[in-house]
Amino acid sequence: MIIQVNNLTKRYKNHLAVDNLSLAIPEGSIFGLLGPNGAGKTSFIRILTQITQADEGEILFGGEKLNSSHVLQIGYLPEERGLYKKMKVGEQLLYFAELKGMKSSEAKSRLKYWIDKFEVHTWLNKKVEELSKGMQQKVQFIATVIHQPKLLILDEPFSGFDPINAQVLTDEILNLRKEGATIIFSTHRMDSVELLCDHIALINRSKKVLDGPVHQIKQEHKSNLFELVYTGNTISSNPVFDAQEIWNEGDKRCVGIVPNQNISNRELLLNLMNQGIEPISFREKLPTMEEIFIKTVGISNLENHEENLAGK
Amino acid sequence: MKKIWLVSKREFLTRVKKKSFLVMTLLSPLLIVLFYGIIFYFSINKDVTDSVKTICVVDAGNHFNKQLKNSKTIHFDFREITHKEAIDRIEAGLYYAVIEVPEELKEIKTLEILCIEQPSLGTLDYIETQMQSVIRNSKLASNGINQDLLNEINQTTVQLKTLKITDTGVEKGNSGVTTFIGFIGAFLIYLFIFLYGVQVMRGVIEEKTNRIVELIISSVRPFQLMMGKIMGIAMVGLTQFVIWVVLVVVLSAPVSQLVMNLLDVNPEIIAQAQTQSQISGAGQESIGGLGGFIADLGQFNFLLIGGMFLFFFISGYLFYGSLFAAIGSAVDNETDTQQFMFPITMPLIFAFVLAQSSVVNSPNSSLSVWLSMIPFTSPVVMMVRLPFGVPQWQILASMASMIVGFIFTVWLASRIYRIGILTFGKKPTYREIWRWLFMSN
Repeated sequence: MIIQVNNLTKRYKNHLAVDNLSLAIPEGSIFGLLGPNGAGKTSFIRILTQITQADEGEILFGGEKLNSSHVLQIGYLPEERGLYKKMKVGEQLLYFAELKGMKSSEAKSRLKYWIDKFEVHTWLNKKVEELSKGMQQKVQFIATVIHQPKLLILDEPFSGFDPINAQVLTDEILNLRKEGATIIFSTHRMDSVELLCDHIALINRSKKVLDGPVHQIKQEHKSNLFELVYTGNTISSNPVFDAQEIWNEGDKRCVGIVPNQNISNRELLLNLMNQGIEPISFREKLPTMEEIFIKTVGISNLENHEENLAGK
Repeated sequence: MKKIWLVSKREFLTRVKKKSFLVMTLLSPLLIVLFYGIIFYFSINKDVTDSVKTICVVDAGNHFNKQLKNSKTIHFDFREITHKEAIDRIEAGLYYAVIEVPEELKEIKTLEILCIEQPSLGTLDYIETQMQSVIRNSKLASNGINQDLLNEINQTTVQLKTLKITDTGVEKGNSGVTTFIGFIGAFLIYLFIFLYGVQVMRGVIEEKTNRIVELIISSVRPFQLMMGKIMGIAMVGLTQFVIWVVLVVVLSAPVSQLVMNLLDVNPEIIAQAQTQSQISGAGQESIGGLGGFIADLGQFNFLLIGGMFLFFFISGYLFYGSLFAAIGSAVDNETDTQQFMFPITMPLIFAFVLAQSSVVNSPNSSLSVWLSMIPFTSPVVMMVRLPFGVPQWQILASMASMIVGFIFTVWLASRIYRIGILTFGKKPTYREIWRWLFMSN
């Protein structure tokens, strides 16, 4: 575990931002911190990046109590981000690396690595304000990773990124993971990171709702639903399964199938084939993170929370 | 400490590398000299801006004997006209004003001046002085004092030269030079605090509106960022100041040579100026006193004054600079700063205004002493007092209170700053800022 959080609590004047949060982030994972706006994700991240301090509880970084020496090992892309507009790109990136605690010579060689990688030599002596928005986003990303952090924290990383840069970002994140980095994604748009994350924690109203490996959570929350696309006769429910048509298009049909208990997939398929149809595809339908989230916390709960926030 | 250094290095380099820094460093002394030169010029030649005013004096009784002297802007015209004509001519713009002196009057105490607009106090004062002097002279003459004696009496002048009793004996003092030295020091400190304090504030606001601040404080503590900024900008100011000093030292020799040459070319002007100043009877410095002025500069303990200047220069800036940083952190844009700037700039302006009046006039009054103890005003006020001689205990007390003062404001500012830079949206109230002071991190 690169990060171990034990009973973390953070209070603000009249609300509880993080409520007794405990979670573990495995080394080398892509960890999704999911939850609606105002759930407490950024509050937690600010404690993790040592911008603020928790009122109770502790965080262990690689087994050690979190302290200022860990700053160098953490790369942070805040939701609210920016650069010094009047400063040259090269100077700025070196400055960020040195602020993290990197030696100047090392910072220079890392800068060269990223400049070569993105093929952006011509930018070095330009001021940030002379670059296009997309270029600035790349610079912002380099600023986050230039000091080779072991842990990368990205708060709403795709907000404001155009699709091309979002893809660049995704590719680089996967690359960094391959090189051994751990990545924390924090977002309220659960669909955007679902495919990337291998572990997640769902947070709602300052509390952790559930966490674990993505595949495990999906298995636990699946509703035993299969989706069959086929041509041929209409399939209707029978003692072995319930069927409900989802759509049809010409002679192509799609039905949702819920098998009755204690029947194997093999038996189900045999039964379906016996109905005299021509299958096109058959797959188990797993719930999306959003569906799991809503199922867990309840839709009313979620809405109330958003209203509370808006009312403040 | 290393991070404070890194931040201040960036603050310093980004500012010093700008072209505007070089331009301002070279131009601003010129502008200041020009600015004060113009004020000085107009205060000496008050009438340059005025057009000539012709005053008609209807003096049938010949009380003034046509002896009222013209000045550059006020001309007297003795003519006998009727009241009706007087009004017509004023309305026609022929005369600025008409004074009708009643013929049968024995003793002149009050007279009426006829005009369209209210004449300035200076104009009235000049006419009154002329009239008084003519009447006085004629009275003296009628009592048997002749013209030569009168001229001699009028040339009487008395000048006081100060001798200051100090530890080492008796020293020659010079109020003019003393005031000058103190004022220059106070002015520079005032200017520096204002100029660079506002730069600190702008820098903080810039980082906040750029939204870069969260990225940075994940690498350095807010206190380090704030101190780095304040110190980096202080270094910019000191650099600028050093450049000015070097410029003055390098240029003063050729410039004073130039001035001397100009004066040598026109020895008559000096002579004329000297006699004029003697005639006017005031104990003002004549142009011939320039050498004395420069010689008197040598009388001061420059080590003490220079050292104190540096101390108050830096501590005063830290005191106010950290408050400016706190303001910058509390707001999202510069227009919101007004409300918070006011209580901070007021004492500074107050100190500067008082330094030029009350403090200079009585540098050891209890008001002056108190003002030089309170950190809000002491950097400016103490500089003005110093050349007049200040007891050692007062200097030490003032320095001690200044140190306590800036440690306090830096602490205060860092409490506000750490919360302020992450707070966006509505402009905070004083109450909210007060609450920030006691909030945990």
